[in-house]
Amino acid sequence: MLYRIIDAGDVPLLIRAFMDSYELVAPVECDQGHIFDTIDDPNDVVLDYSTTIASPKKYFLPPREILFKFDVAQNDVDAYELDVKPRVLFGVHPCDMNAIEKLDSVFLEGPYPDPYYRARREATLIVGVGCTPSQSCFCHRMDADEAPAGYDLFLQDLGDRFWVSISSVAAAEVLEESTTLREATDEDRAAFAAATRRRNEAFSSDIPFVQDVAMLMDTYHSDPFWAELGSRCLNCTACASVCPTCMCFDIVDELAFDGKTGERVREWDCCTNPQFATVAGGHNFRPSERERVRHRMYHKLNGFKEKHGSMLCVGCGRCVDACKTGINPIEVLKFFDEKTRGAHDAQQGKGATNGE
Amino acid sequence: MANRHAFTTSVEVSPLAAAGHVKTGAELMAENPYRPWPARITSIMELTATEKLFEFRLIDERIREAFHQQPGQFVELSIFGVGEAPISISSSPSKQGFIELCVRRAGKFTEELHKMQCGDVVGIRGPFGRPFPFEKMKGHDILLVAGGLGIAPLRSLINNIHDERSEFGKVTIIYGSRNPREVMFRDQFEMWRHRHDFDLHLTVDNYEDGWDGEVGLVTKPFEHLEVDADNTFGALCGPPVMYRFVVEEMRKKGIPYDRIYMSFERHMKCGMGKCGHCQVGHQYVCIDGPVFNYWEAKNIQGSM
Repeated sequence: MLYRIIDAGDVPLLIRAFMDSYELVAPVECDQGHIFDTIDDPNDVVLDYSTTIASPKKYFLPPREILFKFDVAQNDVDAYELDVKPRVLFGVHPCDMNAIEKLDSVFLEGPYPDPYYRARREATLIVGVGCTPSQSCFCHRMDADEAPAGYDLFLQDLGDRFWVSISSVAAAEVLEESTTLREATDEDRAAFAAATRRRNEAFSSDIPFVQDVAMLMDTYHSDPFWAELGSRCLNCTACASVCPTCMCFDIVDELAFDGKTGERVREWDCCTNPQFATVAGGHNFRPSERERVRHRMYHKLNGFKEKHGSMLCVGCGRCVDACKTGINPIEVLKFFDEKTRGAHDAQQGKGATNGE
Repeated sequence: MANRHAFTTSVEVSPLAAAGHVKTGAELMAENPYRPWPARITSIMELTATEKLFEFRLIDERIREAFHQQPGQFVELSIFGVGEAPISISSSPSKQGFIELCVRRAGKFTEELHKMQCGDVVGIRGPFGRPFPFEKMKGHDILLVAGGLGIAPLRSLINNIHDERSEFGKVTIIYGSRNPREVMFRDQFEMWRHRHDFDLHLTVDNYEDGWDGEVGLVTKPFEHLEVDADNTFGALCGPPVMYRFVVEEMRKKGIPYDRIYMSFERHMKCGMGKCGHCQVGHQYVCIDGPVFNYWEAKNIQGSM
């Protein structure tokens, strides 16, 4: 990979250069915090944000999108074309970039690549940015604290300058045209390492490191813990709305007022939605909150890993903030930590304390 | 200066009449796997008060030729304006060009389908899912157990075995219904009974006048059943409560875990391992199943 250094003052120039050819989406300030939004003025872009309220997944998988239009009398689809304009997602954190990689593995790989997702993904450049963890962040526990390869540029703030990791030709050309690049020096490399160290030290020490999470998900599947966790669930599905990796959807037909034409639409759905696993005739395979909350955690921490080799949680912490009743993967990690530590300590004759 | 790398991407969906004629059926289907293809209802048979057997023919020849189903697979059936539903294929692959679906009236979608007539047009996409291991089953005895509407996916396997009967050893079919009025494909079973190469056990939970089959749960025929365990494949499908009991009976007869195959029912909305509705444990019923063997099922949290 190529690495270069640019002055901090060059970043707005880079943003403006992208805006000449692309729609630019970046974090901006709003009443409740930060959100990803389309940028008109490069000065609105905030790069030292903690976490956006919702993830950038909506730019690949919109909350509601038309799959096709149809004609009821003809019993066939109507002509429909989706045009996706070129876009840059600017200022994406490593957790969200990891999340996009996971979405890619479901929507681009395998026997049925998704044409709608692919059109959006291929028209999008990603410019990542290094971050400082908030108290809700636990990407380091989910193996998602490092930016994966799936970006075009990655920026690391070093104070008066930025470290730039350059991955794609498209982004390299915009960068070269709009900024003054120089090679990294020893001092820059030391500053980069210092930034990484500061970041590692900023994570909350309350979030335990747990080994063999997938195995624990299987072997504690019938534990009363899930009933307790489920009993708190309000079925609001806020967790899935803000989650960068929740990708479940529903497919519905919407008729025009005259009833003659309509649209087949896909819209976000969530496995904690009470009717999610109901089949024709009314049988619900996950009738209670206990089963639904457990399934959501199971798929994130075990099921997805079985299929794709990594967990379907990137530790972004959004659900930690969004869930009104404190249901989140950290709770699950803490439960496993207490369970395994407690039993082990008891075996050693130390009781459930840490034996001080 | 405009960046020469910035480009617009698109997805195009066109009516059948306008679909590019240079493309093959397989190419058309792969281009957009969400797009259903028009199919005409060619026959409707009333099976019970709530179930009908529909026969469909894909209208476009290219799609028809590219459509190859295997026993145990399903399609996504569309009625434009009403929606889409996953339905198991009931016919044998040898009935090339036609797709039979056995549908119970159970909700809004199936209610609308039941109102349709021969000649009406629906949309079909698929086939989807992992089928029964038909080739692996050849050369073995087969023990099939269906409960209620579970006969629908198993019928594709039964019919396929029927088409290639000499490839199989002893074939035993146990089919349980709640009462005689709910027994489907009665004529077909009668025909097979007279061929003497299917060992047929029709059972009903509740006896009614005129019933000449067995009475009892679907597990009852196991009492006197002789099974060559080392040479038998089991296959079952039925209501969720049935699985545990039938699997237990098959295990008691000595059939290995990985030779007992079962078809799972879930609401597969996309059919392509994406929408999440059919997830069970770590598996997607739509692409990893709907047919699983018992060993796989035992390894799926929350499957049975």
